[in-house]
Amino acid sequence: MKTSVRTIFNEGDGHAVLMLHGLSSSPLELRYLARFLSDEGFTTCVPVLNGYTAGSKEQAMEHWLDAATREYDALAARYERVSICGLSIGAALALALVHRRPQAQAVALLSLTLAYDGWAIPWYRFLLNWAYYSPLRSRYRYRESAPYGLRNDALRAKIARAMERDDFSEVGPSTISLPALHEASRLAASVRSQVRAIRNDCLIIHAIDDETSSPRNPRFVASSIGSTFLRTIWLDDSYHMITSDNEREIVARETALFLRESEITSRTGDAGGKPVVSKALARRLRQLAAMGKGRA
Amino acid sequence: MPGAAFCVAAVLIEYYFGLAPALTMMLAGVCIGDYLFVPPYAVFGFIDRSDVLFIVSYPLVALVFITLVERLRRAQFRAELIASVAQSRYEMLLRHDNDRMLARRAVDETHRLLRHLSQHRKSFVLIQALERMPAWTHGTDAGSKREAGASVLAVAPPPAEIAPGPRFDDVEPEDIRRLSNALWPGSHRVRLRAGDPIAMHASSGVQGDTGDSAAQLVDCICERFTTHAGDFLVLRVGE
Repeated sequence: MKTSVRTIFNEGDGHAVLMLHGLSSSPLELRYLARFLSDEGFTTCVPVLNGYTAGSKEQAMEHWLDAATREYDALAARYERVSICGLSIGAALALALVHRRPQAQAVALLSLTLAYDGWAIPWYRFLLNWAYYSPLRSRYRYRESAPYGLRNDALRAKIARAMERDDFSEVGPSTISLPALHEASRLAASVRSQVRAIRNDCLIIHAIDDETSSPRNPRFVASSIGSTFLRTIWLDDSYHMITSDNEREIVARETALFLRESEITSRTGDAGGKPVVSKALARRLRQLAAMGKGRA
Repeated sequence: MPGAAFCVAAVLIEYYFGLAPALTMMLAGVCIGDYLFVPPYAVFGFIDRSDVLFIVSYPLVALVFITLVERLRRAQFRAELIASVAQSRYEMLLRHDNDRMLARRAVDETHRLLRHLSQHRKSFVLIQALERMPAWTHGTDAGSKREAGASVLAVAPPPAEIAPGPRFDDVEPEDIRRLSNALWPGSHRVRLRAGDPIAMHASSGVQGDTGDSAAQLVDCICERFTTHAGDFLVLRVGE
C-alpha cells in the first residue's frame, strides 16, 4: 500500500465532529468535508480505526464500535459538544455509536448503507453472505468496479487509474474482504434494531442514484428514528461517494449549517435556531410541522 | 375462467408488495388453479387440453399485467425521488434566502447605527455590546465572523462591554454603574455633573431638579441596533 493512512485532525472551536469513513477505506474520503468543517470553525477528527480502516486486519464490528467510542470519549473529554458524521458503513457505525453515546450533539448520515442494494450491486451479491461460511472466506475479495461511486467522469477515470495502481484510492478500497462485508452486515442488522431509540438531531444526505445503497436505506432511518430535529436532503447529481462527487460542496455546506443549527438550538432551546424572516420559509416550516415531522 | 381471479390477485400483490411476491403468487396460482379449478379436479397426474390452456394462458396474461404494473411502480418511485430532490433544493433555497434576508437586515441596522452615531456624535453617553455575535451568525460565514470579532473589539475598550461616548464623563459614575448593569431600550434618567459647562448646555433637556445642587437630571434615550457584528445599545442624552 503506497498511500499513507493517518488520522486527520483539525483544531477548531468547542464543537468537535467525529467523522467515520466507509468500510475498509481511509480518512482520505472525508478529507474535503473535514477541511470545509474546519474552515467553518469546527474541530474535526477523522480517525483511523484499527480493524476497520484499510491496512489493518479485519476485526469484529464490536471492535469497530469500541474503537469509535474511544475516539468519541477522547473528544468529549476535551470539547463541549461532539457530533458524529459517517459515510456509507461509517454512517451505520455512527448510528451505533450515537446509540451508545446518546449525549452526542447530532449525527450526520451520508450515503447511509444498511444494505448493499444499489443498482450497481450484482444480483449474486447475496451469495457472498454464504461464501463467508466457506473456505472462500480468506481467499475471495469483493472487487469494486466502475462507477466507483462517482458520477463525475473525470474523477472516475482518475480513481480507476489509482485503483489499478494501489490497493485503495481517495474514495475507497479496490477490494473488500468477505469478513469485513460480513461484519458490516452484522453492524447493519444491529443498527436496524436500535434506530428507534435514537433521539439525537439527525441529518441524512443521500443520492437518489446511489449505486451502492438504495434510497430505501435512508427512508427506513428517516421513518424510524426518534429525532425531533431531522433533516433529509436528496441529491440527484451524485452516486455513492457524495463527499467527493459533483455535489460535495452542497454536502459540506449543508452539514456545517445543520451542525451549527443543532448546536444553537440546543443552546437556546429555540427550535430552528435562526430567526425566520422569510415568509416562504415560515410557510414551508408550517407545512412540515403539519405533516408531523420537523424535517426543515 | 379461474385464471382471471388469480390474475387479479397477482396484480394486486404486485402493486402492494412488489415483483417477487407477485411472481410467487402467480406460480402458486398456476398450481392451485390447475389443481382445484381445471377439470378433472384435484388431480395433478392427468394433463389434457384445458390444463395446457390454463398453464399457458394464465401465466402469460399475469406476466403481462405484472410487468406493466412493475414498470409503472418503478416510474412512480423514480418520480417520487425526483420530487424529493426538488423539495430538498427548495428548502435549501428557502434557508439561504432567509440567511440573505437576515444579512440584509443586519446590514441595514449597521447603516442605521452609523447614521445614528454620526447624527448624535456629541450627545451619546455610551455604547454597550450585548453580545459578541448574534447566535444565528455562528458558522455561516467565517469571514463575517472574523470581521464581527474585529468590529466588536474596536468599540469595546475596558470595561469590556461598554464603549464611552463624548458625554460619558459628564454622567455620575454611580449612574454609569447602574446603567451598565441594567440598560434596556427606552427612556432613562441620569444625573449630569453640575458645574460642567457641557452639562449646563445640556440642561435645556432638564426635566426637574432633585434638590441635589451637585447634579442635574436629564432624560436619556437608549436604542438597540442588531447589526451583523452583534447587538448594541446606544445611550444618548435626549434633545
